[in-house]
Amino acid sequence: MDKILAGPADLGPFAAASEPLGDALSRRINADPENVAQGLAQLVLTIVELLRQLMERQALRRIDSGTLTDDQIERMGSTFMELDRAMTELREQFGLEAEDLNLDLGPLGRLL
Amino acid sequence: MIELLAIGEPDAAAEPPVRAVPSDGVTVLCAEAPEGERTADDLWRREALVERLLETGPLLPVRLGTFVADEDAAAAAVAGRGAELRERLEHVRGAVELSVRIQPAGEPGDLRARATLLAAAEAAHEALAAIARDSVERPGPELLRAAHLVERDAMDRFVGRVRELQHAHPDLAILCTGPWPAYSFAEAR
Repeated sequence: MDKILAGPADLGPFAAASEPLGDALSRRINADPENVAQGLAQLVLTIVELLRQLMERQALRRIDSGTLTDDQIERMGSTFMELDRAMTELREQFGLEAEDLNLDLGPLGRLL
Repeated sequence: MIELLAIGEPDAAAEPPVRAVPSDGVTVLCAEAPEGERTADDLWRREALVERLLETGPLLPVRLGTFVADEDAAAAAVAGRGAELRERLEHVRGAVELSVRIQPAGEPGDLRARATLLAAAEAAHEALAAIARDSVERPGPELLRAAHLVERDAMDRFVGRVRELQHAHPDLAILCTGPWPAYSFAEAR
């Protein structure tokens, strides 16, 4: 079913944000006894990722409102980059992909 | 097991495989639930059923994966909520849901660049919301993800506005999909 009414010629910017429907259907937090550490890490990292995205969005709004000095913006930039790097490291340690950090909240949609 | 598809008006008619169950002044539209694990094809088949129903009158689509034992249970699922549901049906009458997602067109850049893009995306969202009967921003991985309830007659104007905004903001990628049943507007907020 073709549902695109208007869009850029290159859908690349949306490719990373959309996953095959089948993957979304089979997504579960893994709570097998053997994998309980990974399941727990997945849950905790998902929450941290949510906070990171909220903080970043808040930061973007503050930057745009012009209430921050260049110095503050610079420092925030490095903080977010550092946080991003730390998250990637943690994910790799637990064998998780970026798209594993999400939860289906039923009627509320996807968490991230 | 039957799956609930949508809530329609009291006189909503259905042809097989959809069944119409009247209850509390509305109609519960449902169908036999498919067996086994859901596939993407099952979802598109379900979507096609709901969209065909949409051609006959206003509809409140029911969340995916809502199963009940039989038609009595389907009727019971809305019993006592008729007035609220009829009000919601009025809210979506003659309108469809259009989804708008906005991303940076190129590399996201530094914080300052992203702040400018987010502000532009939010301004574009406001411009589109002005054409819609109702709008809601939804959480998502994109810069901005929103659903708009748009009157059928205003659809062309809405899509035209999306194209204008895209033209005015080459640094943004704006994707508009639809028309969808009013998934994001079925519940009172």
